[in-house]
Amino acid sequence: MTADTASKPAPVPITIKELNTENPRWCAGCGDFGIIMGLKRFIVDRQLAPSQTVNVSGIGCSGRAPNYFNTYGVHSIHGRPIPIALGVALARPDLNLFVHAGDGDALSIGGNHLIHGINKNFKCVFLLYDNEMYALTKNQTSPTTRRDHPTNTQPQGTYLNPLNPITMALGLGASFVASTADWMPDHLTNTMKTAFDHPGFAFVHISQRCPHYDPNNFDHKNSNWFSFLKHPNGIDPDRRLADKSEIVEHDPSNLAQAFQYGAAEHKYFGLFFQNKSKLRYDDILHNLVGKAVKKDPSKILDSFLV
Amino acid sequence: MSLEKRPVTRFELLMDAGTGAQKAGDILLGAFVGMGQYVYVEPMIPAEISPPARSRPALSGVIIRLADFDITNIGNDTDLILAAHEIVLDRRLDDNEFNPDAKILLDMGDQEANPDSYEMVLKRCTKLGISVIPFDVDPESQTIVKELGGRGQNLHYLGMLSYIYNMDEEIVQSQIIKTFGKKLKEDIMAKNLTLYHNGYRLAKEKVFFRVDVKTHKREGEQILIDGNTSMSMGLIDAGIKLFSGYPITPASSIMHTLAKNFPAYGGVVHQAEDEIAAIGCAVGSYYAGMPAVTATSGPGLSLKQEFIGFATVAEIPLILIDVQRAGPSTGMPTKTEQSDLLAALCGSHGDYTKIIISVSNVIDCFYAPHLARYLTEKLRVPVFILSDFQTANSYKVVAKFPLAQMHNVDDIPDFVFDRFHMKRLTGPIQMVRTQQTSPGTEGGMRRITGLNTDENGKVNYFADNHQRSHMVRNEKIHHVRRALTVPEMFGKDMNEILIVGWGATRGAIEEAISLCEKNGVPASGMHFRVVYPLPLMLKDIFAKYKKVMTVEGTYGDTLKPSSLALLLRSETLKDIHPLIAEATGRPVRPRIIMQKIQEVLK
Repeated sequence: MTADTASKPAPVPITIKELNTENPRWCAGCGDFGIIMGLKRFIVDRQLAPSQTVNVSGIGCSGRAPNYFNTYGVHSIHGRPIPIALGVALARPDLNLFVHAGDGDALSIGGNHLIHGINKNFKCVFLLYDNEMYALTKNQTSPTTRRDHPTNTQPQGTYLNPLNPITMALGLGASFVASTADWMPDHLTNTMKTAFDHPGFAFVHISQRCPHYDPNNFDHKNSNWFSFLKHPNGIDPDRRLADKSEIVEHDPSNLAQAFQYGAAEHKYFGLFFQNKSKLRYDDILHNLVGKAVKKDPSKILDSFLV
Repeated sequence: MSLEKRPVTRFELLMDAGTGAQKAGDILLGAFVGMGQYVYVEPMIPAEISPPARSRPALSGVIIRLADFDITNIGNDTDLILAAHEIVLDRRLDDNEFNPDAKILLDMGDQEANPDSYEMVLKRCTKLGISVIPFDVDPESQTIVKELGGRGQNLHYLGMLSYIYNMDEEIVQSQIIKTFGKKLKEDIMAKNLTLYHNGYRLAKEKVFFRVDVKTHKREGEQILIDGNTSMSMGLIDAGIKLFSGYPITPASSIMHTLAKNFPAYGGVVHQAEDEIAAIGCAVGSYYAGMPAVTATSGPGLSLKQEFIGFATVAEIPLILIDVQRAGPSTGMPTKTEQSDLLAALCGSHGDYTKIIISVSNVIDCFYAPHLARYLTEKLRVPVFILSDFQTANSYKVVAKFPLAQMHNVDDIPDFVFDRFHMKRLTGPIQMVRTQQTSPGTEGGMRRITGLNTDENGKVNYFADNHQRSHMVRNEKIHHVRRALTVPEMFGKDMNEILIVGWGATRGAIEEAISLCEKNGVPASGMHFRVVYPLPLMLKDIFAKYKKVMTVEGTYGDTLKPSSLALLLRSETLKDIHPLIAEATGRPVRPRIIMQKIQEVLK
């Protein structure tokens, strides 16, 4: 086995249409539509072979995503897409691997796996669909729900301040931390590209609208409440929104600065941090096998002879 | 001095944890095998690494059963105990596993500092009617042990046991050198050998009996292996390519063995962040076409349950090894039990389908992975391999196993089916989803999900369709039901009583029935290696016995049938109770089985 993750081109050009399966069972206006469209555009741009592509998800609205790609996919159990994805990466390092997880999936029930997925830094694109609530279970507080926002489980208003997924990922030593949003298609697709080319665990945080339960959360009609991070080694600001929002130069190798933007009240989209030389667990395991002096399988019991 | 000839005997060395009792046991084992006796060894391992010396939890030791015939279990009662001090002896006496005429060699070295405690334990021995032979380690050896920083006492005891069991002093010495050879400096080795020879001499001068067990020359290549190691090598031979686990006693040694050996055979070992991740990675690997396995013990089995149901519904092959320990909860991590049968059978929610294979000895351990892989890939349902602390850690010498070197599941040899009392599956096996391609297969793109789907893999919440999914999944298990042949039977095929067990109790049942036959007790035995599903002819077999009772290493009483009894009752509508349903953490004993049978038949 080699850890060659270069994608094979599809034999016939693939189009968005061929990537579609059925009409997603999401509410009208759901941010998830934008996210899967962004990924499909990237797959078409890069002509990734659907038979070589695997989407793995957990449970929740975001968990349904793999069902809507005519690729290989695993819609697994709540919080556990990362362990499955690692199994796929260890078995078939040649496949294109995308992991889809919601904020409940990634930051609550599956938090332990996120810690170790980031640390193991195995090759995959990790998409965190963050609508800042539990939606499919009908409007409960999630780790990223803003304080005082009322939900069915904390009707007086959410008690605590939200977790910050960006500084959390940075603090865990993530080799790639980017942020984008469902309503900026151009930025979303560019983020997928940069993430896919990253040699390791590419943590992509996506602000996702939930018009059904929290329609006023993200003001997608205005762009004055966020800025784009820009750099030659980064992700270009969204074409449509670039002239409406602030653009900040940020070198993605600057971890201290990344923490500052990540922790700020003001919102930043773009590439916070990238380190292409972090150790990769999948490579290490494959090399252990690749470099091991092979032993004769017809003699496996000989060392136990008396 | 008397030399007593015996066909079978059992002795124990009891010491504080970390002082080398098990190492001494390994050396003895090697020497016995070298001389041509049959041995079965069970280590006694404390749950903690280094409990305080001279405390009851510190008991660490080795039980060795020695015979002039092939033995399948650790047997009944101990004939001789060598104890490093009175506390470990006192602790072990609680288990009530000694013969009425057992002898105890007690090191009196700690007596001066603990006169009252010694007196109390000696009184206890007198009360129990067992004779104690007190001894003191000779002054030269005491000095050497001090020089070695408290180490080496085990070599002294080893010397004593070598004398008592009529072993060739030189064979044991070469076994010591073989065991420590490269690890010890020359002068340290010399000191250890002096301790050994001093022990041998001490026994010669102070102990007035020797035991001789006949030796046999064995044909063909023999291997010495324990259950977990055998299962690890079996996984390699069965063509498994990924092991994914989380540290847990007593399953961890499978991960240790594979971590050392697997890469040389093209296998990956993944130590996951938790039990759930461990099974998740195995599921991901098998989904992507690479045969994978996860191993755990009770607490880990509880954590893995959701994924087991997922694998069932998503139709992803899954092999799960559960090396059982005494539960519930953390229980007794280094004690044996058979109490996870129902957790495997019913632990995940909803009506999920599964197959449960069990192992009773090192040979089963080697081939269970082959059968598990065959069944899980043919049927795409989870397959459990239930082992247990006792089977996992006990050592035995056996003829070298023939290898299968499986690349794909159809390579599985017929003798594996024979061993597990079933036939190769025949006929088409229907899946919930018609298409079962792995990622990377051109044109075979598909999504799998834990949601109910139709035969095209589309999510489906309709009544008829969900009922169909259950039918298809259960029909897979029915295929196995129909392929199961008559389980292993001991004794006459019609009798007053039939005792039934599964997994680790096999050896004790086999020996109990042969004891019964010798003593004219009308009892027969039955043992399951595949515990679920059960074969279809059970009811007919049971009809030939006036009584059917189970022997299980798990709790049961007159109001609560133990796990196997419960399962057999439901499958056969026969009024089955446990004969022995003990959750003592100790292996079931053949003689006790016979006693209980006699009581029941009275």
